[in-house]
Amino acid sequence: MSILRVALDVPLDTLFDYLDAGHQAEVGMRVLVPFGRRQMVGVVLEIVEQSQLDNDALKPVLEVYGGEPTLSSEILRLLNFCADYYHYPLGQIVMSVLPGRLREARLALLEKILGYRLSELARQASLEVLPKRALIQRRLWLALEKQGSLTAENLGETSDNWHTAIKAMQAAGWVECVELKHVIPSAPSAIARPALNEDQAAAVEAVTRQLTGFKAWLLHGITGSGKTEVYMRLLESALAAPEAQVLVLVPEINLTPQLQARFKARFPHEPMVALHSQMSDGERLRNWRQAESGLARIVIGTRLSVFTPIPNLKLVVVDEEHDGSYKQQDGMRYSARDVAVVRAKQAGIPIVLGSATPSLETWHNSQAGRYALLTLGQRAVAQSQLPDIITLDARTPQLKDGLTPALINALHDRLAKGEQSLLFINRRGYSPVLLCSACAWVAPCERCSSRLVVHLRQRRLKCHHCGHEERIHVQCPNCGNPDLHPTGHGTQRLEATLAELFPEARVLRVDRDSTRRKGALEDMMAEVHGRRVDILVGTQMLAKGHDFPNLTLVGIIDTDSALFSPDFRAAERLFAQLMQVAGRAGRAEKPGEVLIQTAFPDHVLFEALKRHDYAAFATTLLQERKTAMFPPYCFQALLRAEAQKFEPVRDFIAEAANIAYGLDGAVMVYDPVRPTMARLNGMERAQLLVQAEHRQALQAFLKQWMGMLRSLPLAAKVRWSLDVDPLEI
Amino acid sequence: MSCNRLELSGEVVALEVLRHTPAGIPVLSLTIRHASIQIEAGMKRQAECEVPAMAMGELTKKAQTLNLGDKVKVAGFLVRKSLKNDRLVLHLNELETE
Repeated sequence: MSILRVALDVPLDTLFDYLDAGHQAEVGMRVLVPFGRRQMVGVVLEIVEQSQLDNDALKPVLEVYGGEPTLSSEILRLLNFCADYYHYPLGQIVMSVLPGRLREARLALLEKILGYRLSELARQASLEVLPKRALIQRRLWLALEKQGSLTAENLGETSDNWHTAIKAMQAAGWVECVELKHVIPSAPSAIARPALNEDQAAAVEAVTRQLTGFKAWLLHGITGSGKTEVYMRLLESALAAPEAQVLVLVPEINLTPQLQARFKARFPHEPMVALHSQMSDGERLRNWRQAESGLARIVIGTRLSVFTPIPNLKLVVVDEEHDGSYKQQDGMRYSARDVAVVRAKQAGIPIVLGSATPSLETWHNSQAGRYALLTLGQRAVAQSQLPDIITLDARTPQLKDGLTPALINALHDRLAKGEQSLLFINRRGYSPVLLCSACAWVAPCERCSSRLVVHLRQRRLKCHHCGHEERIHVQCPNCGNPDLHPTGHGTQRLEATLAELFPEARVLRVDRDSTRRKGALEDMMAEVHGRRVDILVGTQMLAKGHDFPNLTLVGIIDTDSALFSPDFRAAERLFAQLMQVAGRAGRAEKPGEVLIQTAFPDHVLFEALKRHDYAAFATTLLQERKTAMFPPYCFQALLRAEAQKFEPVRDFIAEAANIAYGLDGAVMVYDPVRPTMARLNGMERAQLLVQAEHRQALQAFLKQWMGMLRSLPLAAKVRWSLDVDPLEI
Repeated sequence: MSCNRLELSGEVVALEVLRHTPAGIPVLSLTIRHASIQIEAGMKRQAECEVPAMAMGELTKKAQTLNLGDKVKVAGFLVRKSLKNDRLVLHLNELETE
């Protein structure tokens, strides 16, 4: 009898031993096991002859889900790396990367893919048996005749009303339902490839020449320089090998459909699947299985897709590699970008990290020669120029509801010319503060160290951190004054101001509140592209990926708080964000203009921005980081703890610090502190930062430290986590 | 002692547009110019002032019917305009047109 060592979703850093009870189990198979009084689904990670426990103490597995594909050794190796590097229990990692269906106690075979084809009867008849006016039915008939069989998705591309039509045809006996082996790529022929400019051609050539073996590339391309075109050429080269698969990571779900559409147009015959967290369990499992079985050749997805088993993976692309969304902020706090690099290394394949404003870590790696740098210095469309960036001094008494006269004039000008403008303000809601001017009371969140944001139209106050909501106070709870003042500007207030200033303009607000409904963002983008919008008001949602050919003015309002943030990464992030927003202006042949309102118009950050000079700015920042010994010149890990009462949190962190002081001297241990958000969602928080000059030193320290922390009695009294390479401290 | 009451008659010389507090209470600000003869140190003298005032809630209904130049008699209490501004504002409890 063999012993199965099983990974379970249990917060203990160990595998659990079970008797195989005569089941034929293999490593990577899912099993159902008894655990305490429950039953749990787990994955067999090892099969051994002898357990360290007494065999009599072991329980038999209840079920082995044989017949399913097993989790591949490549993925298990990657997950093992993550468990070591992020110091997170392997069992929890394994179970968290599986699609939801695979965490359920039932056999999860590949879902049947159903399609339609013409019946025998139809094949012997002709199109003319259909009524002349049944246009959709006729179109479907022709498509089926041409393609043999088609899935619902394919038919949807033919007509939106395909479903009624196909039902009618089925009833008439012209069409029958069949099970298909794989998804059929859609029919249209590939759209022509645009010509590459010099930089793009050089980048494509360089990577294509080295498609075998691990190599990390940084594709640094200014906004509008055609990075996506380079990706597509590389995919094309990689997919030329038979059975080859590629993985493309994107930072946000919102960006998936857009990129998917472009890939689909270029590679209509390559099966492609998307993976992200907003799809149904069934859909996710189906896509995962298609990647796993090698059927899908292009896998595109958000951070979690980095763990998808892809047996013939030949190339990884990480778009907008600097984006903070690649970092998971709970559970295992991994960076999908970093894991992707490890994955490429393990698989011995190239990885391309693309960005207009690479993260300093990645830039540093390219400067040190660890990543090869590819630069796209020209815009892809030859006529399109980079926008002029101008700072406007916001310290003027002529401010009209937060807008400078120069910005108002520029908006007037675009309106007159029939061009679009975008005002970027990174704060949703009406105003960020509700203030009592009689006694200086400010509406606080009772659960967080934050202020409640005024959402005026709904007459509600909302906490943007914990989601708490309440009615707006009728009077100040402190002094009784009813005349409370919404203070500061958010998207809703800006929208109202614009409506007042430009009554004839069509203003559209795009933020998380206005795009809550599914498909709302797509509809809004269609409005913009259809030129039914004059002025866009939006948050960082608008900053990424969207191209607006008729947009020639970008106004940026109130970014100053990020200029003097205690977070040493704030400048890096702000620069990336502003560069990205600025890139929305003048993407086509019309020149763009970017106006930044600030109380610090001469700040160095803006100087670099005006010159579109990321490299120079990165050099300055790296110099500062080096002087201060901050990442990428050191490696950090952050221990966070929280509980409803502060006392155990304080004691736990103090204890952790004491242990840390007693360990290896190569690691620097900061003092325990409370984060800026000292209280969040009703929990009192504290944290402890440790850092070392060398990754190995930090890792060795963490291994020891984590082991000791896990056995602390206090560790059971607080919720705590370790964040290796934290992005926010 | 907690007494804060001012009675004043005068002419409406400024009327702002009706606005609402974030919770939806209507607010109407106005200015009342007062001119009268008063006794001070046993002697008659002129008393002139312009007093910023505001009506809230129900009272704004009446206040909205006012026109510039209307003669009014009001009563209310005094509050400084804000923490940063020492100017006094008369918050109305009573409003009558003469």
